Amino acid sequence: MTKILTKHFDEPKLHELETYRRLGGYEALKKALGMERKALQEEVVKSNLRGLGGAGFPVGFKWSTVPPEDKVPGPRYVVVNCDESEPGCFKDRVLVTRAPHQLLEGLLIASYVVGSKDSFIFIRGEYQNQYDILEKAVAEAKAAGLLGDVNIHLMRGAGAYISGLDTALLETMEGKKAWPRQPPPFPTVAGLMGKPTVVNNVETLSMLPFIVREGGEAFAKIGSAKNGGTVLFSISGHVEKEGVYEVPMGTKLRDVLALAGGVKGGKKLKAVIPGGTSMPPLLEKDLDVALDFDAIKAAGTMLGAGGMIVLDETVDAVEVAHNIERFLTHESCGQCTPCREGSNWSERILERMLEGKGEKGDTENLARVGENITGKVICALGDTVGMVTRAWTSKFPDDFKKRVPNNG
Amino acid sequence: MSKVDLKSPFTPEQEKVLLGWTKKYPYTNLGLIEALRSVQDWHRMITPEAASRVADIFSLPFNHVWGVATFFPTFTRWKTGEKRVGVCHGLSCYLKGSDKAEKCLEKTLGVPKKQATPDGKLSWETMECLGACEQAPALLVNDRLVGPATEEAIAKLKDLK
Ligand code: SF4
Ligand code: FES
Repeated sequence: MTKILTKHFDEPKLHELETYRRLGGYEALKKALGMERKALQEEVVKSNLRGLGGAGFPVGFKWSTVPPEDKVPGPRYVVVNCDESEPGCFKDRVLVTRAPHQLLEGLLIASYVVGSKDSFIFIRGEYQNQYDILEKAVAEAKAAGLLGDVNIHLMRGAGAYISGLDTALLETMEGKKAWPRQPPPFPTVAGLMGKPTVVNNVETLSMLPFIVREGGEAFAKIGSAKNGGTVLFSISGHVEKEGVYEVPMGTKLRDVLALAGGVKGGKKLKAVIPGGTSMPPLLEKDLDVALDFDAIKAAGTMLGAGGMIVLDETVDAVEVAHNIERFLTHESCGQCTPCREGSNWSERILERMLEGKGEKGDTENLARVGENITGKVICALGDTVGMVTRAWTSKFPDDFKKRVPNNG
Repeated sequence: MSKVDLKSPFTPEQEKVLLGWTKKYPYTNLGLIEALRSVQDWHRMITPEAASRVADIFSLPFNHVWGVATFFPTFTRWKTGEKRVGVCHGLSCYLKGSDKAEKCLEKTLGVPKKQATPDGKLSWETMECLGACEQAPALLVNDRLVGPATEEAIAKLKDLK
């Protein structure tokens, strides 16, 4: 299967500059710096590269919304989002650990296109090992004269999941509570310190060297319609071989699961959460769903950040829903009342169900709480609260019925 | 400067580090989270006195800094151990027995969660997804992933220096 990001993962010292360069690393940067910025952006548009941090927004288009320098003079920034923290997602950790220079090369290409002289890598504080790896890689690249006039700053987060959302990430960087901003304006217009800022995920930026080297069309050809290239899935839960797998966009769920050796111990599959716990689960009957941003949406869920969790038949949907709602309650930033209160209510209803104290109407209550949050809050976390309960109650009604005595 | 220094809960070297964070990035306030991370490392918690001095150094209102210090889970109002141990209870880790790991931590370290051992060496707490779901239940020591929270891994924590 075609591999882009993990192609050289068998090389023992890929994280070192010398190895990366021996394999053709930083050639794309050289090529990029010899091209017009506009032409580079065009290549990215042609590539159909989508944001791989979860939102799936077309990257070339996002860049094109940065206002031109003659209209809005002054600095503009590129920020790398290395703050994955949704249960199931760990591909960025693996990418940074194994191929930090691939990310740096991508970041330098993006910085050139956007015109950023100060670029940032925002990395979650719990990735101290990865922070060290990046710090070393930046120093190596700097000593080799590869950074040009770009300063690369590393900055750590402080344990909040919501910091991974682009606008909350910018607030965190600015030394504030990680309260998401209500767009517009979008960060590309007014981002870090009010300046035009492009926030891209680690995986997204790591794709750029390939796109520059081989051309946008070559990248687009690998994937499916409007979803260029490959995508990484981090797979955990009840599978034989947990880990990170790279496949072309549009690969079938069945084939991705096969790469991970299928359900552990030959048990039956109960559900697959495709992109991180806030995404509605897929079932056995969905195994032929193509995994790209558009096809999976048609199947009623989302690709998210590719954090796949596999659940075998022994798992109870109420326990799963409770675990996810507990997470969301903990991580709600508290800014919007419906999210702050509703996540907590959902968790408590599910908790009493688990304790055998479920009351008649609890399943309906969960739905009602969810409805009263959706669309009435600033960011997607709040909407997720209802989406999670709706998905799990509707796909596994029997598990929920069992938890409510005398529910009939 | 000297008048404020007398009241400072920080050593002169620490004051220098904090001042360094105000200068590290293109804007002063971009260093605030990192500065508070330093304080958390030194004091194992953030006290109002410390937040107040950080506020002075960053020329920010105390309320701003205290708001940030109480928002982020990395910053605590309880004193952590020198080694701060975290076990993830996100879904992937839950499926692989994070409950059991929590009980094992409590028993092995002999303290409930969010309380340091009497010698101040260790404390443990549950954490949200650590981005290591393939090593479930993920175990963290001072922001470094150490792999799955097996009984053996937990037993070894006591030997950490
Ligand atoms: S929806 Fe929830 S997490 Fe998002 S801004 Fe509102 S309170 Fe914060
Ligand atoms: S769910 Fe535990 S590390 Fe991700």
